[in-house]
Amino acid sequence: MTTISETPRRVSGVVGQAVPNVEREAKTSGSSIYAGDVELPGLLHARILRSTHPHARIRNIDLSRLAGMPGVIGVVTAQDLPDRMYIHHGGPLSDRGVLASDVVRFVGEEIVGVAAETPAAADQALSCIVVDYEVLPSAVSVSEALGPEAPLIHSGGNVPVRHARRWGSVPAEQEAAVTVSGTYLFGRQTHACMETNTVTASWSSATGMLDVWISTQSPYLVRKELAHVLDLDVHHIRVHEVAVGGGFGSKSKISEYEAIACALSMKTGRPVRLALTREEEFTTAKCRHSFEINLETSATAEGMLVRRDASMTVDNGAYNHSGPSVMAYAGQVLGSLYRIPAVNVDAELVYTNKQPGGQFRGYGGPQAIFALESQMDEVADQLGIDRVDLRILNANLAGDTTLTGWRIDSARLVECLETARSAIGWQGRGAKAPEGRGIGFAASIHVSGANIYEGADKSSATVEVDTDGRVLLRFGAADAGTWQNTVVAQFVAHELGIEPDDVQLITMETDATPTELGSWSSRGTYMSGHSVGQTARDVAEELRLHGAAMLESPVDEVWLHAGVVTNGVTSVGFGVVVQERLGGSLVRTREITLTNVDQVNRETGISNLSGAYSFAVHAVEVSVDEGTGKVKVERYVAVHDSGQIVNPIAARSQVIGGVAMGIGYALSEELLYEGGMSMTRSYIQYPLPRAADLPEIEVIFVEGDDPNGPYGAKAIGEIVLIPPGAAIANAVADATGVRMRELPLTPDRVLAALHQRDRKPKRNYRIGQRPSRWQIAVMRAWYPRGLHQFLHKFGTRWGRPAQRAELLAVETPVDEAAASAALARPGARVIAGGTDLLPARRQGLVQPSVLVDIMTIPTVGRIEQSGSDVAVGAAVTLADLAIWSQDQLSVLHEAITAIATEQIRLMATVGGNLCQQNRCWFLRNDFMCYKRGGVSCPCYAVTGDHRYYHSVIDSHRCQSVTPSDLSTVLSALDATVEISGGDRKRSMKVVDFYTGPGEVRLGRGEYLRSVVIETDKFSGHDYRKLNRGHGDFAMISAAVSVATDMNGTVTDARVILGAMAPVPYRVHDAERLMVGRTVNAIDVAAAAEAWCRRAHPLERNEWKVQAGAELLQRSIAAALARTQSGGKP
Amino acid sequence: MNTPQTVKTIQLLVNGAQIEREVEVRTLLSTFLRDDLGLTGTHVACEHGVCGSCTILVDGRAVRSCLLLAVQTDGTSVETVEGLGSLGDLSPLQEAMWREHGLQCGFCTPGILMSIEGEARSGSSAEEICDEVLSGHVCRCTGYQNIRTAIHAYFATRHGS
Repeated sequence: MTTISETPRRVSGVVGQAVPNVEREAKTSGSSIYAGDVELPGLLHARILRSTHPHARIRNIDLSRLAGMPGVIGVVTAQDLPDRMYIHHGGPLSDRGVLASDVVRFVGEEIVGVAAETPAAADQALSCIVVDYEVLPSAVSVSEALGPEAPLIHSGGNVPVRHARRWGSVPAEQEAAVTVSGTYLFGRQTHACMETNTVTASWSSATGMLDVWISTQSPYLVRKELAHVLDLDVHHIRVHEVAVGGGFGSKSKISEYEAIACALSMKTGRPVRLALTREEEFTTAKCRHSFEINLETSATAEGMLVRRDASMTVDNGAYNHSGPSVMAYAGQVLGSLYRIPAVNVDAELVYTNKQPGGQFRGYGGPQAIFALESQMDEVADQLGIDRVDLRILNANLAGDTTLTGWRIDSARLVECLETARSAIGWQGRGAKAPEGRGIGFAASIHVSGANIYEGADKSSATVEVDTDGRVLLRFGAADAGTWQNTVVAQFVAHELGIEPDDVQLITMETDATPTELGSWSSRGTYMSGHSVGQTARDVAEELRLHGAAMLESPVDEVWLHAGVVTNGVTSVGFGVVVQERLGGSLVRTREITLTNVDQVNRETGISNLSGAYSFAVHAVEVSVDEGTGKVKVERYVAVHDSGQIVNPIAARSQVIGGVAMGIGYALSEELLYEGGMSMTRSYIQYPLPRAADLPEIEVIFVEGDDPNGPYGAKAIGEIVLIPPGAAIANAVADATGVRMRELPLTPDRVLAALHQRDRKPKRNYRIGQRPSRWQIAVMRAWYPRGLHQFLHKFGTRWGRPAQRAELLAVETPVDEAAASAALARPGARVIAGGTDLLPARRQGLVQPSVLVDIMTIPTVGRIEQSGSDVAVGAAVTLADLAIWSQDQLSVLHEAITAIATEQIRLMATVGGNLCQQNRCWFLRNDFMCYKRGGVSCPCYAVTGDHRYYHSVIDSHRCQSVTPSDLSTVLSALDATVEISGGDRKRSMKVVDFYTGPGEVRLGRGEYLRSVVIETDKFSGHDYRKLNRGHGDFAMISAAVSVATDMNGTVTDARVILGAMAPVPYRVHDAERLMVGRTVNAIDVAAAAEAWCRRAHPLERNEWKVQAGAELLQRSIAAALARTQSGGKP
Repeated sequence: MNTPQTVKTIQLLVNGAQIEREVEVRTLLSTFLRDDLGLTGTHVACEHGVCGSCTILVDGRAVRSCLLLAVQTDGTSVETVEGLGSLGDLSPLQEAMWREHGLQCGFCTPGILMSIEGEARSGSSAEEICDEVLSGHVCRCTGYQNIRTAIHAYFATRHGS
């Protein structure tokens, strides 16, 4: 063991250089081997049977139907495993076994593992297992779990950890002149790594060795957990090197599926691969904890902070994992950023029957900083002090020790604040900003590796030089996309005077590397800089010593360069040195232990957790559309004090990627549940930022020199994700004067806050005077009063979902007659682009046994123009129609290019878009709802989250809408659909084609053949759409067409709202106020508002009425303007 | 249940090589490429066509291989990242991608490369690709900025050559 003695800084050499990624060729050529790419003879595929209830006792698991099933090789239940809990947090807080044996506590909890010859056979096996549940009362929210009649989720109670921290005291002379308080809510997010959790495991009974290829950030922590729960010696488990497709904390410990694959391999004696599906990843992988923080901050009239009082409630989900330490860390952040004499934090961690929270990049920091930094702005504004000045006044300085015992050896927070202020061009509150624009700041502090586990203050590495002069580094961590491997190669290269590419790397291999806990808690660069750097220095010193002897020079007159020891005149190669002087390879292993950190103190929360603390200040400019509530990030500057930067490319990449992720949680990303079941199971329901959603992100490093950091460096990986939420909320407050205290800042929340600001009266929909709405109004009134629970509990038992059917054939008819014949077969269904059909099939919404591929029929794949009429075949792709319409009918082009993404449009067809199933996230996510199961089942949207994708006008029992953007614009163009395949061809207007949400007038054997558009029917058009992110379905869309005569009088108009009603909604009220009037005489605002009195919104989607009227107003105005300018925009 | 119709023999060009295989009708193209042909450079990340990781070229068009059945590619020409270039012999696009540091964990990279390649061949401009085409992909690591730079760098080499 070595303690750190020497810490070279301000170095010139490879450290600090912009070195490209050492894995660049493997990753760009697609030849990197990820855990799911490992091929082994006899490989089996595993799947997991998971709980369908949030809380239930397992009475019995019936596996009898699996006996003799073809291709099913092995099954494991809790009975097959040692009676052990995962170590996780450790001690009495360890609360989760590998497979549920008695009670399940969240939807998705693992019950049975199955291994089969193919994934399909494993899926088939799952459907044959019958679990007999005794459903228990559940608590799916914190308030339910803390309620007087709350069911016990674990026997010890629903609050596993509660603490009251009392740090410091307020000096008598400091009198608070201002106190601000508020409650800050922070939603749940998921890491959404591009590679889902994946493992390939292979047990050999002959050798008693378990080989594991796993997508992880920490091979050694996974090995330790596997050994524990499988009752194996750690040395009987070998973790192997693979490429890792993203981690962000989610893979920094065991992920509760690996042991199942290992157990299956041990049981079957064959290798087993288990790759979680994206749905499993969204619904079961440990997510960021949601927090409620009540915070109060006081300051003196001069702006000096006096005290901070917080009470935090943390939604733990069903198991502990890192909940206790995430909560503790969030409290410490509240006690550490800025100089402050007293901080009190009361906190409780609350079990709920939901997927458990876990470690996520930032680790409680984003939640704490959102509250803390929001209040810094409020304090500044109340005191009349500039927001940046207030922060500078209270900034942490080098040499400080925080109330929580963090020893700040280097801090350039003040410089970060000043740099951010000038880079974003902040002139102070009084400065005139463009309408709807605002600027916000947030600062942050974060550890460089927290000493929260045994051994977390240690790191080891082995460096070898062989007789051929080759340099090899053995290091046990994993590179999950952070450039860790490049950085460690840089350390070795730097010390040995070679190129990073000349350092061979062996990582992750637990049998071939010394112990190293891995890349988490921002410890990668910091810890490896110490251990790898020190080991390489040892090797360099020996090379110099022996080389100098061979060169007959004094040791201090030789140096290492490009693989040789040289004195500037003569040189000798590394290989020769080790051969001649050592008779073989030079191998050195060093384990370093940080001497400047404390063991974590779980009682007081006071300890120096880390060897160094990084600082950051982010400055952001946003625009807020006050009509729709949409917030857009326009400019972003991220300023970081991470000490000396080891690799500016890697560090900059970390910042940009982290900011993108941060903009996601600030504006759109949130995991949502209804009754403990997830509605966010795919990227489509969880909009994370795409390229078009992001501004250019400017990165500035305010480089410093940490006295204890390796090469002066501090961490960068996590702190990048901590300020964005607060910075963006502060910018929104700057733009609008509205303080938003709940993330993400979705349009509904922003619009509601603006509504409150402007004291707008509540709309009255006069349902009592509208008999046509009574039935639905009564139903909606009864839902929360027991009807929903009744239908959910009893009605769903009679649910009749589509019967599962095997896909037998894909027919490729050559003409329309053959297609009609094929479609007459039972179970036949049209497939065109397949972009909706194949996912819908997986979601159990359609179960065709025969697909009839109409893409092969030339006559339905054509665009035929005759005069001003154009007939667009149903099999024409959206991409082709976009190209055609660009010059011919630009409104159609605009609408199409707002649909999904270019790659989807290359496949998706006109017919498929018009006939797509609705996008309700209850229907799409396996809820046994009215639409899926029939009349006895409830519509989950009535009481569930219906903010975005549900109806505000004319809703039926199903509250969903027709999602097709094409239906909106084609209705506005008054287009006609032509239907073939039945007894006779028939046609109807697009607007009449729909009978309900995603329901169309197609009889058995019929198919949509083409759409006919009269291109010169109208002279002015407009289409616009409000969605949650690039490529998402509409929350609201508006399409308007207007025809005028010579005098400028409107002779005909079509005004359509999309995604607002079960079918494309023709706004006759608006059309009546337009037709017959000259363009200038039309009261656009009145026309756009006219339909609102007919609306019947649900409780939480009323904002769509407001935003819909606004969007429509813009659309009508634009269409009228175009008709005056001869159709040109 | 296993009627003879559940499998079908298909013939297609994969990265220029003629392939003939018997596949189950229900097999997705992504599964066929990875499991039957061992072309594991095509990564599957969402199974819904939303993230773009599995993007490949079918007859030159950038499409999602998780949204196609293998049988639908009978008679087509399929290109995957393995056809673009290989270790030691990277294509100019692959070269531009790493030179501008447009990758971190690398899982989304092959799909993004195939999209850019397909669109560039079909005449899209660098700007169109940076905005619209790149937005057809989810990358959780990079924030896309370096990928944009790589797209521009690639176009500069195309015009330079």
